[in-house]
Amino acid sequence: MATLTESIKNEVKEIVYSFFAEECEVDIAQINDNTSIIKDLDGDSLMFLELIEIFKKKYNLDIELKVIGKYAVKHPVATIGQLIDMQLLIIEHENRLLDLEH
Amino acid sequence: MPNEVVITGMSLITSLGLSLEENWNNLVAGKSGVKYITLFDASSLNTRFAAEVPPEFEELSRAHIKKRAASQMTRVTRMCVTAAKMAVAHAGIDFEQADRSRCSVIMGVVNTGNSSVEKDTTPQNTVFKTMTNSMPAWISLEYQLTGPNFAVNTACASSAYAIAFGYEMIRSGQSDVVIVGGADSIINFEEIQGFNALYALSVANDPPGQASKPFSRDRDGFVIGEGAGVLVLESKSHAMARQAAIHAEIAGYALTSEGYNIMAPMKDGEGMAKTIELAIKNAGIEKNEVGYINAHGTSTELNDRYETMAINKVFGDYAGQVPVSSSKSMLGHTIGAAGAIEAIITALSLKYGVLPPTINYLQPDPDLKLDYVPNVARKKNICFALSNSFGFGGHNATLVLKKHLT
Repeated sequence: MATLTESIKNEVKEIVYSFFAEECEVDIAQINDNTSIIKDLDGDSLMFLELIEIFKKKYNLDIELKVIGKYAVKHPVATIGQLIDMQLLIIEHENRLLDLEH
Repeated sequence: MPNEVVITGMSLITSLGLSLEENWNNLVAGKSGVKYITLFDASSLNTRFAAEVPPEFEELSRAHIKKRAASQMTRVTRMCVTAAKMAVAHAGIDFEQADRSRCSVIMGVVNTGNSSVEKDTTPQNTVFKTMTNSMPAWISLEYQLTGPNFAVNTACASSAYAIAFGYEMIRSGQSDVVIVGGADSIINFEEIQGFNALYALSVANDPPGQASKPFSRDRDGFVIGEGAGVLVLESKSHAMARQAAIHAEIAGYALTSEGYNIMAPMKDGEGMAKTIELAIKNAGIEKNEVGYINAHGTSTELNDRYETMAINKVFGDYAGQVPVSSSKSMLGHTIGAAGAIEAIITALSLKYGVLPPTINYLQPDPDLKLDYVPNVARKKNICFALSNSFGFGGHNATLVLKKHLT
């Protein structure tokens, strides 16, 4: 369970922005927190999973996909900002993510 | 009254080119697309050549498919989607103006080519690269079409079956537009080794351009090719309402199963003959109206012998007057894509009044006596033509195409 520092927050945001710019072939300057992943970037759900893999390795996270899946059903992600918030929660709470529901 | 079915868009990606025009010009010129294999090291195989799509395809693919989607496709799936986009552009159809629930996609898919030659396969994209419905699914996604989209696998007859089903969907009034065709490549170590073990492939390595020699005495097996062929089928009323150019018409078809052998065609071409006969009947034409046959013509001992026997049986005395040629002499056998590629070539023959040749026909087989359009293309105006496709497993298809008269 990591403590979210400003450095980590900035790093996560930078990775997410760069990932979408690269994969969706758009200028990174065109992306902001309100950008819709599907409508604006023509992205897909697989990108969310790929980012989780990236962060799992980077922060050595103990997190199971089924935990994220259960949380995501109740907290769907549509924009880049929402996705970053979700990734930060995953980094912070790992497998205890669902405890946030209680 | 059933709807009439017309072809308003076509595209080809083969070893002879990346556009319809380039392919047609090279086919009429009698060029071979067969060369030594470059996709992998084939030096230890008995067969070291194939008809590969030119490397410039990668640039064409990038122009049509976004990087993100491309990363979830195999090279063959990208061939299919690229060809579909070119065919739709050729048809000039704007799906914003169409009822998308009446627009469908049917592709002949034997496999998606996720083999050892495929680059960048990861655990994340393995499923998407392997699922055999991916080709029609990506095309449907591209244009947000909500009519049925599905794949059909009947081996080497797959995309001919796709055309037949597309024809039927329009004819019956279920769809206005159906994108049909197929793409395939089995140019990889495992498949060539496997077909070599069945003695199905030519091993005439030198020179590769002369290896595919359908109907010749010295034929020694088929030559593997790869590519994609996609057609836009449309009801004639729908096409005319939007003033679309019509390139040819589909007049009928027959599909049969031999129930005989997993590899060999039925003895003496009985199954093939039955298929051709039924197709002509289905189209409601007389045998002597058939002006050209684009043969399955694989350059194998049995297919070419039996297909010739079948044509002789069906047409009797008229058989010698029907020109028969094999596009596989130039393009190799593109397996799941062959039916669509050859239907397109047949449509272009009707449109332009030119019959592409059977190249490498230098030593006639004394047992096989038909007019194989040897080595040189021929001008001939025709009204009806057949395209034959016969697959491992006894899957037979004959399509009947008709010249569109304006």
